[in-house]
Amino acid sequence: MKRPLVILVVFYGAGIILANLIRINFWIIMPIAIVVFAAANIWGRRNRIFLTLVLFLALLIGYLNMRNSWILSSCHVRKFISYQDGSLYSLNGFVASQPEFKNNHLWFILRARQIQSNNIRYKCCGEILVKMDFEQALNYGDNLTLMGNLVRPPGFGLRQSYRDFLARQGIYLIMPIKDQRQIIRQENSRGRGLIRGCFWLRVYLEQMINRYLPPLPASILAAMVLGQKRNLPWLVNNSMVKSGTVHILVVSGFNVGIVAFMVNLLLKILRFPRKARIILTAICLLIYCLITGATNPVMRATVMGLILLVAYLLKRQPDIYNSLMSAALFILAINPRQIFDVGFQLSFVSVFAIAYLYPKLKALIHPEVWRINILKFIVEGCLVSLSAWLGTLVIIALNFRMIAPITVLANILIVPLATLITLCGFTLVLSGLIYPDLAHLFSLPTAALITLLLNINAVLIKFPFAYIYF
Amino acid sequence: MLNFTPEERKVTLFLLGLALCSLVLNNLVKANCRIERMIYPAVQLAKLNLNQVSLTELAATKCVSMFLAQRIVDYRNLHKEFSRLEELKEIKGIGQQRYEKLKELFFIE
Repeated sequence: MKRPLVILVVFYGAGIILANLIRINFWIIMPIAIVVFAAANIWGRRNRIFLTLVLFLALLIGYLNMRNSWILSSCHVRKFISYQDGSLYSLNGFVASQPEFKNNHLWFILRARQIQSNNIRYKCCGEILVKMDFEQALNYGDNLTLMGNLVRPPGFGLRQSYRDFLARQGIYLIMPIKDQRQIIRQENSRGRGLIRGCFWLRVYLEQMINRYLPPLPASILAAMVLGQKRNLPWLVNNSMVKSGTVHILVVSGFNVGIVAFMVNLLLKILRFPRKARIILTAICLLIYCLITGATNPVMRATVMGLILLVAYLLKRQPDIYNSLMSAALFILAINPRQIFDVGFQLSFVSVFAIAYLYPKLKALIHPEVWRINILKFIVEGCLVSLSAWLGTLVIIALNFRMIAPITVLANILIVPLATLITLCGFTLVLSGLIYPDLAHLFSLPTAALITLLLNINAVLIKFPFAYIYF
Repeated sequence: MLNFTPEERKVTLFLLGLALCSLVLNNLVKANCRIERMIYPAVQLAKLNLNQVSLTELAATKCVSMFLAQRIVDYRNLHKEFSRLEELKEIKGIGQQRYEKLKELFFIE
């Protein structure tokens, strides 16, 4: 078997899906898994039996992990709440995310440590989402005591509701805060120093982008480079969705690749030895992953990038399918519910489709034998774009009820431009750190490229049948 | 003399190209202020013109219901056009909170 990890992850994923469809008690499945594990040990030398047992075990582990993820620990904050009572709770914990001001509310995740109800205090764990009606200077790690009601997120009875979305992230409760008196700030701060540093860096870089660019280009560059979509206008996001190029506004493999390339290049120029270069690039990728909020596409790209770097370090040939599946396994082992997340599905399916369909489509046309390089470049770009579009077509159609045939052409024009903008954006940020006057100068071509990108996108979505909603 | 590696050549060329573009644009902006308007994205690319937006476009923003979108269009038809964004608050169903959301979405021309 050339790619055992691919088959294993497929069976593991099937186990997760099965757990969502057929609900059998965790302790009924566990003994079966133990028996299969023992049998795999006993028949370890018989290839076919061993393989069958290992794949079945992967399926059972997927099932068990999913079932286990539904079970909340006895100290989880949700266990102390009865939904209909409307009582006041006092909750102590620390800010576990970077607070964001969105839709006139300040949102952040609070990692609970202690809950008080009717003058009785309990130690607790788990996370809640806090929605504040006013702005307050809060940072990751701030130790807070909040007083208020705890409510369930709205469900609206939809198939993919906001409640499900939050539940996939382990959040089951929201605490609305309407008055400043509902918050008491404690003195000592908690949280991890590395994460605090990364969040500080993100805020600092965002401020720098805002300093050198007008609001609209700054919001687009912040989304492209830092994954910060807070200030992105709805119309820009919507028009990018229509042209199928919204992926450039999300930090993904494309950005992680550029960061890895830039860091590696810089270290090569500074004459760092090969090993040190690989290790430093890997560290930079991990820091970039934390700065951008460690979302699914960034996690996937970071894990794939790290595998590639390790292969490069060990002088071995990396396999795209195995590295892709390692990334999937990494995410699904931590949180199996991510398999139902549209972002996760699009991220993995698009890369898989490019890896699988692109060589097949290329073999049909054979652009490598053509003499005109520019034509070869355009056709190859078209084929990559077409592969990704074909791969994600069904997921997009089912979830967004939209088909955008313009995607193939839009990506050919917009992706090279987005690459240039990202490079200019990183140059702008770096020059802003070193010499601010230079950053002022570099801001002009960056803004001009962003304007060009928006104009091209606006023209493309006006084409007949550019996108079809159904 | 200077002995560049291929990587150093790429970085040098990129930075010099960027600096050259920056200088050209900077010079053009200084010479003609209209160029600045061309460099920075127009507001139409980020916001909807409240005096031209259609009922379907309004409803598609998902910030207002179809019912409220119809009220906005009716108000516009009645008063011929919006002269200020604050006029939105005169429509039944649009309070301060919704107005704060809507003002990020629209502009008036």
